[in-house]
Formats: sequence, C-alpha cells, structure tokens
Amino acid sequence: MKALTTLVLFTILIPAFSQTRITGKVTDVKGETIPGANVLIKDSYDGTSSGLDGTFSFVTEEQGLQTLIVTFVGYKQFTQQVELSGTVITITATLKEEINQLDGVVISAGSFTAGEEKRRTILKPVDIAMTAGATADIAGALNTLPGTQKVGESGRLFVRGGDGSEARTFIDGMVVLDAYGPAAPNTPSRGRFLPFMFKGTSFSTGGYSAEYGQALSSALVLTSKDKAEMNQTDIGILSVGADVAHTQVWDRASVSGKVQYTNIQPYFGLINQRVDWIKAPESFESSAAYRQQVGKSGMFKFFGNFNQSSFSLFNHDILNPTVKQKFDLTNRYRYGNASYQQALGTWTLRGGASYSYNQNDVRVSENPMGETETGIHTKLVAEHSVSDQFEIRMGSEIIHRDYKSARHNEVLGNSEELSFREMLSATFAEGEYYISNKVVAKAGGRFEYVSLNQSATLSPRLSLAYKPGKQGQFSFAYGSFTQSAQNQYLRFNTQLQPETAQHFILNYQVVTDRKTFRIEAYQKEYRNLVKFNTANPTIISNAGKGNARGIELFWRDSKTIKNVDYWLSYSFLDTRRLYLDYPIAATPTFASAHNFSAVYKHFISKWKSQLGFTYSFSSSRPYYNPNRPASQFHEDRTPAYHDLSANVAYLPKNNLIVYLSCTNLLGRDNIFGYQYSAATNAQGQYESRAVRQAANRFLFVGVFITLSKNKSVNQLPNL
Amino acid sequence: MKTTTFIFALLISVSAFASDKYTEQMSKHIHAVYTAKSVDEYQSAINALDRIALAEKTKWEPYYYSAFGNLMLATQATEGSKKDSYLDLALAAIEKGKTIQANESELIALEGFVHMIRLTVDPGTRGPQFSGMAMQAFGKALGINPNNPRALALMAQMQFGTAQFFGSSTNEACGMAKKALEQFGSYKIDNPLAPVWGKEMTDELLKQCK
Repeated sequence: MKALTTLVLFTILIPAFSQTRITGKVTDVKGETIPGANVLIKDSYDGTSSGLDGTFSFVTEEQGLQTLIVTFVGYKQFTQQVELSGTVITITATLKEEINQLDGVVISAGSFTAGEEKRRTILKPVDIAMTAGATADIAGALNTLPGTQKVGESGRLFVRGGDGSEARTFIDGMVVLDAYGPAAPNTPSRGRFLPFMFKGTSFSTGGYSAEYGQALSSALVLTSKDKAEMNQTDIGILSVGADVAHTQVWDRASVSGKVQYTNIQPYFGLINQRVDWIKAPESFESSAAYRQQVGKSGMFKFFGNFNQSSFSLFNHDILNPTVKQKFDLTNRYRYGNASYQQALGTWTLRGGASYSYNQNDVRVSENPMGETETGIHTKLVAEHSVSDQFEIRMGSEIIHRDYKSARHNEVLGNSEELSFREMLSATFAEGEYYISNKVVAKAGGRFEYVSLNQSATLSPRLSLAYKPGKQGQFSFAYGSFTQSAQNQYLRFNTQLQPETAQHFILNYQVVTDRKTFRIEAYQKEYRNLVKFNTANPTIISNAGKGNARGIELFWRDSKTIKNVDYWLSYSFLDTRRLYLDYPIAATPTFASAHNFSAVYKHFISKWKSQLGFTYSFSSSRPYYNPNRPASQFHEDRTPAYHDLSANVAYLPKNNLIVYLSCTNLLGRDNIFGYQYSAATNAQGQYESRAVRQAANRFLFVGVFITLSKNKSVNQLPNL
Repeated sequence: MKTTTFIFALLISVSAFASDKYTEQMSKHIHAVYTAKSVDEYQSAINALDRIALAEKTKWEPYYYSAFGNLMLATQATEGSKKDSYLDLALAAIEKGKTIQANESELIALEGFVHMIRLTVDPGTRGPQFSGMAMQAFGKALGINPNNPRALALMAQMQFGTAQFFGSSTNEACGMAKKALEQFGSYKIDNPLAPVWGKEMTDELLKQCK
C-alpha cells in the first residue's frame, strides 16, 4: 500500500516538476500588437491565443528542446527554438507581413479585370452578358467603360484615340486574328466569342504586360472556363435563330459542343431597314470545347470554332441613287486553340498553339475582291516564384501569317493577286517585385523580329503601384508597343515597318466593398504610322505620326441601393494624327472628345426579373468633306450620339430565362459621318449621304432553357 | 498480488486516459466553438483546434471544427471581403481534413456550406456558380452517407433559398427539411466527436415553411 501511495504521489508530482511557463508578446514589424495570434509548441496541444494587448502566457508539460510557433492570418509564421526546463521563458514574437495579392497593392493602371473569384474585379462575366445595349457582345459591354469611344457603325473597340485594328483579342494567352464577325458596310460587327465561355476577362486600355504584343492600343485577354461541373443541355430560341449546346462531364474531363443558326431575314421583314438587302445576313456556327485535368495540377484546354456567314446587298450611288452596285460577302472562319498548363513546384509552365483561318469571299458587281488570312501562333511561357515577393515570367512565341487578296483592276479589267507571308518571333521577360504590401514594381521588355521586313524592335514596359492606406492606391505605367501595319497596306508595301505607340498612364483607384472609383490620365505618342505620299498615293511609307491624351473617370456602386447596381464612365479624349491620306494633322473620324455611359441594373425579385438600362453619349465626330480646301480637313462635325437601350431578363424558373432587349428606345436618328460622291455634280459640288444606323432600333427576343441532370437535384425525390 | 493487479489496472487507465487526451481536449474545444459568443471566443477556440490539428497527423475532426468556427465567423461578419477571408480559412482547413479522410460525408457537407455562404456575399453574380458547387457537395455528402442529417438539412436550406430567389414553390425544400428533422432524431454514429449541430437551423427553416 505504501508503494502505491508513492506511485500515486510520484505520478502527481512529475507534471509539477516538468511544467514550464512561456510568456511574451506578439507584435508586427512596426511594434503594433497582434491579438488572436496562435502560440503553440510544435507537436503538442500546448499553447494559447494572444490577448487584446498581444501578450500571452501558458504552461507546457513538454521537456527539452522544442519549437515554439506563432501564426496569424496575413503574416509569415514565426518559429523559435526553446529549451523547456521549468524556468519561465519570455518571448517577443515579431511577425512579418505576408505578401497578400488579394488585399495588397496591385497594378491597376490601364486595366479592367473581370473574374469570378478574384475579388478586386470591377466587371464580372455576368455583367458583360447583362449590359443593356450590348446584346451579349463582349466589345459592346466594354464600350461602357472609360477609355473607349463609341463608334456606332463599327461595333469594335476603339481605345484612347486608337482605331479598331489596334485592339487585339487573346484567348488563353493565344492571339485571335479577325476576332470580329463580318458586317455589312457601316453596320456594327459582333465579336465572334460569347462572354459566357470565359471565366475571366481582362481589358487593358494601355500599359499592358510584355507578354502581349502586336496591339498598339488595347489587349483584351480572355481566360476560358475550366472543366465543366455538370452535364447539361442548353437550348436557345432567338428572334433571329436558334442554338443548342450540350456539355458532358467526366471525373477529370469535360466536353461541350454548340451549334447555332442565325438568319436576320424574318426580322428584316418586320422592321424597315435602311440597307437594300438582297439576302440578309445568315450564319451557321459550331464550336467545341474540351477540358482535361492532367495529374494534380495540369490542365489541357482545347477550343475550336467554325463559322460561315453570308449576305448580299446593293450599294446605291450617291449622285444617282438608281445606279446600284451588287455587293456579296461570304465569310468562312475557323479558329482552334489548344493550351496546356502545369505547375511544377515554384514553376508554372504553360504553352499553346492557335490557328486562325479567315476567308472573305467578296464580290463587287461579281468581280472578286476577296482576301484570306491564315495564322498560326505557338507560345511557351515559364513563370517562377523566386519568393513570395518576387516573381519572374518569360516566354517566346512565333506568329506566322499568310495573307492573300484579290483585287479587281478596273483599267485592265482583270483580277490581280496581292499576298505576303509574315513570320514574327518574339521573346519577353518580366519581373514583378513586391517591396511590401504597399509597393509593387513590374518591369520587363519584349523583343520582336519580323522576317518579312527584317524589322527588330525592343519594347520596354514598366509599372509601379503604391497603396498608402487601406483602400486607395496610385499606379503608374509606361510601355512601348508595336504592331505590324494593317494587311491592306502591307500587301502593297511589305517593307512597311511596324507602327509604334508609347503609353504613359497615371491612375488612382479606390475599391471598397462593392464600390469602385477610379480616375486615370494618359498620354500616348504614335510613331511610324502608315502614310501615303501626297503627290503619289501609291507610295506608302512610315512617315505618319500622332498623339492622344485624355482623362477618364469611373464610378460603380452596387451597395447603396438594394438590388441596384450601376456604373458611370466618362472619357475625355484629345487626339490628332498625320497619317494615311491626311494632308494636315487632324482628329480622326472615329474619335470623339467626350464619351459618357451610364449603366443601370435592377433586380426585382417580385417579378423575378432583372431590368437594365444603358445610356451612351458621344460628342460630335469629325468627317471629311471634299468640298472644303485641304486646310479645313476634318473640320466638319457630326451631331452628337445618344442612345438609350434597355433589357429585361425574366426568370420564371431556375432553368428558364426569357430575354428581351431593345437598343435606342427613343428612336434617335444617329449620324456617324457622311460619305461623299466620287465625282462632282452639275454644280461642281460633291454630294453627301449620311452614314446612319441600319435600323433605328434593334429588338431582340430570346428564350433560353437549361436542362441539367444534376445528380443531387435528381436524387431529391428519392430521399 | 492484489497490489500488482491494482497497479496494472491503474497503469491501463492512465494510458487510456493519455490516449483519450485527444477526445477530452477536442470535446472541450468543440464545446467552446458551439457556445462561442464573440469573435475572440471563436478565435481562441479555433486556435486551440488548429494546435491539435497540427499535433495530430491522422485526425480530421480538428480541421472540421476549425473550419466550422471560421464558417460561423463568416456568417457573423458584415463586410463581404471579411466574409470571404474567413471562408478561405474554412475551405483551407476542409481541404487539409480531406487529405486525411477524403470521403468524410461531414467534411464534404461543410464544404457545401462554405460555398453556400460564399454565394450569399453576392447572390446576383455568384449565384449560378456557387449554387451548383454547393448542391454538388451536398449531393456528394449524401451519396457517401445518405443518413447524414446535416447534408440533407443544408440541401433543404439551399433549395429553399433558391426557390425564394426565383419566387417558386418551396414545397420540395420544406419536405426535405422535414425529412432532415426526422433524421436528426434517429441519427446515431459511433464517434463521440461527431458533429451534432444543425437541428436548430432546421427548426428555423421549418418555421419559415409554415
């Protein structure tokens, strides 16, 4: 019994002897206390949380040399070896801030990023699809953002004094040639890709990464969705056609396919059009997407698109409208894009190839004037996280383009062919360094070599961002950008050097919970622009130049009014160019000094509907009047542009959407410019004709049904 | 002999006590998570559970309750970005738990709960994506264990919310909630640390059904 007593005593006493008290304080680098930090002895249960004043104290039964760990969200882990022997230990744990790419500083100069998961986003994919007036067109929705100019007769993105060809589209890092569908003269074209294909949209109005080249003004970088999660069939019945899509999902892969047919004929029968159609636009489109997860972190993506569209119309002579010229167009388009991404420790490798084929079979009075462009792009990029503060990215790409066009020679009465083959190789490298959560710098460069005309260019890029407080931040970006001269000029003179632009951008942005404010100022210098010799227009050189500057404001608020989301954009642009056939430096016809957009969306749960309105304003645009002397080139101005568009999406059921949209509700007769007769009339004057909207309003009705066999939903009745 | 037996018995009970330090400590901190009233109380319980999670390499429960604590903090936070950061922590803990027990019905149901709260931050834009992810998780959790009352109750909650959003009938959701309530009464599992929450939530839901 005595032995037992000893034993019991012993077991009680041992812990008493071996206890060690650890006390201390948790602070950050600046000495601010950190409450709620987790303080613990590795591989034991012993530990505590720091109090409101950052101090802690606990007792451990562990013995000998142990590791003390302190952790707190947003800070790097603190570790220290401690010798536990019964004597009190006092620790001061100083935690270093972790570089946090969600709440920390980001470079925002020139870019609008839209993604579902990243929280600093300004626009989301659903915003793009549901913006009134955009009719689910990506460019249409982006045209409500600052930095864009509304050019109603084109439908393309015109960014900061740049023309429609200066904005380039990339899908999963791969270039897309001819990203817009064909359109009749002076009617807006639509982007070939639908917003819902993408999980992320990054729209840059300048100063973008060295990874992207061949774009003077803007890069639209689209990231396609990952593997689909659900088997589903989508059916759309539209006022202008129909589409069917199906998605099949496996454990690690998914396939989706879509076919779409559109024919505007029935619609044109209903609403009077200003175009003298012989055959209204008709198109057939099919696309397929395949996703495969490989290993733990690899992802293979394939996307393919096939489109054929055609229309036929009469162009009427301005002087004598009874004289008409037949214009037929058949466009055949194919696009394929395969990409693969793999993470290997601190490295990420991604690569891909894309193929674009665009054939415009144009006949003017039955004379062939067609053109064909084939492009192959291959690219390999490596990204490496040197530390959580420093990241580098480098890569190489080759873009091969083959261009052929036919031209009718009126003098000889025959057809001649113009063609070129361009091989562009590029290498880029870029480093991004987070000095702290407040300051980040990114610097890099891009080297391009074009085999066609032996041109070599080196384009530096630099951006900085500083976040002094919790919400507001300043960014600066500088970059030099190059782009091959447009096909229509390059085919006459393959020795044309790339056109260049330099961007300087200053930006201030505040993003709070569901509210965004930003202001941006920029200056842009164009050099090496294509210029025709005034004496002999067949001589084309790189003697053109230009500049653009402006200030832009953006405000978005989806918080203040319940169920209401709205944004306002204003852009001021001052630009002049001396290029193409301009006799003097002048503002181009696509540029307007003031652009304003207001987008309003209201979800009314009682009606199960989302209502949207978009109002767009563009101040007057210059146009060319041949009746004036060269010194008054582009001095005439069109009336200002106003458009109020509306849409309603009605969701009577989870899987059914009825969509109705109408552009230009007020029926304003917007005039985009004037065309002049080729010859003078009896009075020695050139006669004009206004370039108007093809129809005052565009009305669109669609019914979208989703049939899904969601396992969880289907199981419900059995439970 | 008697003494030896006694010492032997004592030794066994001591070692049993030692190995059950896990259960004892867990029970204490689980209770703390269930009864926490303030952010500080949640944080100190979560920290304690995280300490156990780090020390025990083969237990999913500490991660489960750490995630649960962060999820509760997310539901109480007012600012969207704050909610998101708590949900990130919850999801990270669930992911760690799943590396230990990939097919634990409770962990997967909780993951669905995280998606569901994520959705509430911005239903308009997050709805389509996160409702699918949440429903899929609840379906998977029920696939593994059809009797898990929490998975069923959460699914009912999700269905109810969706039906309300679209203004459609809540009958199906309410039927499911009723079934879940029955299961809360009958569900028995041989794990003293198994989750027991969710009945009150289902009662609340059923009140809305009337």
